[in-house]
Amino acid sequence: MAVELLRESYEIQGKNYDKAGEVSGEIKVLLRDLGIDAVNMRRVVIVAYEGEMNVVMYAHRGTLTLVLTDRDINLEIADEGPGIPDIGLALQEGYSTASDEMREMGFGFGMGLPNMKKNSDEFRIESEVGKGTFVFAKIRLNANA
Amino acid sequence: MPELKHGFKISTEKCQGRMPCMRACPTHAIRVKNGKARLIPELCIDCGSCLGVCPSGAISATTVPFAELDRFKFKVAVASPALFAQFAIKETPACVARALLDLGFDAVWEYSVDIELIDRAITDCVKKWPGPFPLISNSCPVIVRLVQVAYPSMVEQLIPVEAPREIAGRELKRRYSLELGLQPEEIGAIYITPCQAKTISILQPAEEEKSYLDGAVGISEIYNDVLQKIRKTTNAEGSPKSKFGIGELFHWGTPEGEFPKLSREHYLPLTGLTDVIKVFDDIEKGKIRNIEFLECHACPGGCIGGNLTVENLYVARSKNLHLVASMSRPSPEFEKEVERRYAVEDFSLRRPLKPRIIEGEVVNLLERVKRRKRADELLKGLPLLNCGLCGAPTCKNHAEDAAAARADLSDCVFLSRDRINFLREIYKK
Repeated sequence: MAVELLRESYEIQGKNYDKAGEVSGEIKVLLRDLGIDAVNMRRVVIVAYEGEMNVVMYAHRGTLTLVLTDRDINLEIADEGPGIPDIGLALQEGYSTASDEMREMGFGFGMGLPNMKKNSDEFRIESEVGKGTFVFAKIRLNANA
Repeated sequence: MPELKHGFKISTEKCQGRMPCMRACPTHAIRVKNGKARLIPELCIDCGSCLGVCPSGAISATTVPFAELDRFKFKVAVASPALFAQFAIKETPACVARALLDLGFDAVWEYSVDIELIDRAITDCVKKWPGPFPLISNSCPVIVRLVQVAYPSMVEQLIPVEAPREIAGRELKRRYSLELGLQPEEIGAIYITPCQAKTISILQPAEEEKSYLDGAVGISEIYNDVLQKIRKTTNAEGSPKSKFGIGELFHWGTPEGEFPKLSREHYLPLTGLTDVIKVFDDIEKGKIRNIEFLECHACPGGCIGGNLTVENLYVARSKNLHLVASMSRPSPEFEKEVERRYAVEDFSLRRPLKPRIIEGEVVNLLERVKRRKRADELLKGLPLLNCGLCGAPTCKNHAEDAAAARADLSDCVFLSRDRINFLREIYKK
């Protein structure tokens, strides 16, 4: 069994583009201070950033929880929002429901979820339309070290 | 890892423990204990932020004393383009080069060829690069060290191409040893540098190879002598005739390069450590898209704003623009030389760059997490005023130092009355 070493939770505000990216920024600093190796750190931060941006763009609010164990880093992103009607479609590269406003800000290329999946060793997504979405991603510490 | 060399020294004797250096350091690498500043070598990136702010003149840049260069049989100056922006308009690059010869150099290298070569090598590298993007320029040693220390996950984005000054050193040794029948080590390749960071990159390159250059002399160190020589020649002989065309000495890009062959929307020039750090934070999060190449310089305004330059940045920039505007098109000889060398030389970095090992990382993950939790806990008891009286730049740094047993938590004046008395004793006039 993996032993849990550290658990940190961060609140994410929906539609607050001004603060967008701050949570993944904090996570980056935390992992750097902990001396997590560069390759894994990069993967975690990409997953955290894409996850954070999804909450900011689509949901009312959300929580990102980081759980560090002696073997891996787990990210759990739970939001209260519109949910995803067709998860299979949402995971296809290039599929996007982004508004013009989001596209103007450089998002909406349909790479968010696929990018998260690509950078995770385990990836799970559950969603209920009208309620919210839960994303789980695991990055193994020694897989790339 | 070999002991890290740094671009400056703190004189314990002169240091009065006044702390502007500690507050100015962007990587929080300075502590002031017992009234004396001390460096954490693993964290220092040689940016020189501490250098200009010391009120006691205790911090000095390490450059090679000019006299020490006499050990070479043949001395060649490789002048940073920033040098030519330090003098008045009528004092052309040719005049400056002439003054360098009068000063005792045996030759002045036609450095703009190397800059042009590296421009091309970078353009090619960017076009062929599979990712991740953006690639980051590496000619500024501070940028390289900043990435190694603070952005370890971006080290592979530092472009694996040599800096132009290194290529110049390699080629001038090859050419002059052939022409003069000297051993390469008898030829001194000396960089005339706008900052102490490049001196360090020559003494101890970040990729742990040996530099092709033999040393560096700061612009400010030779400025007065050069000026005097220029005045002398100009007065004695009218306008000096010289074999140097402006194009061979001075490159039309911003000092240390600009890459006009990369499309504008995919290329971003950045100067000043504060702005660079903001952009690097965004890159690390994956926020910067569609940018292929970042040209980064730690000094605001780039190398003409280096801390061993003399002229103020804006005057120097105006001079630089004037030089660029007055340049004729590159000569056919210049083009030919660039073509010839580009076909035969390899410009790739000899060894890959790696993240720098920071002291704290030798302990295992469990211990690091424990320290982190302890530091978070200790931080709650600190005032968050970042007054610095404990000797660390921020309360957070102090909590971390205490958690790792590098400092006593009670060094905080809010936690211990004794600390105030202790400081009063140390800072007594």
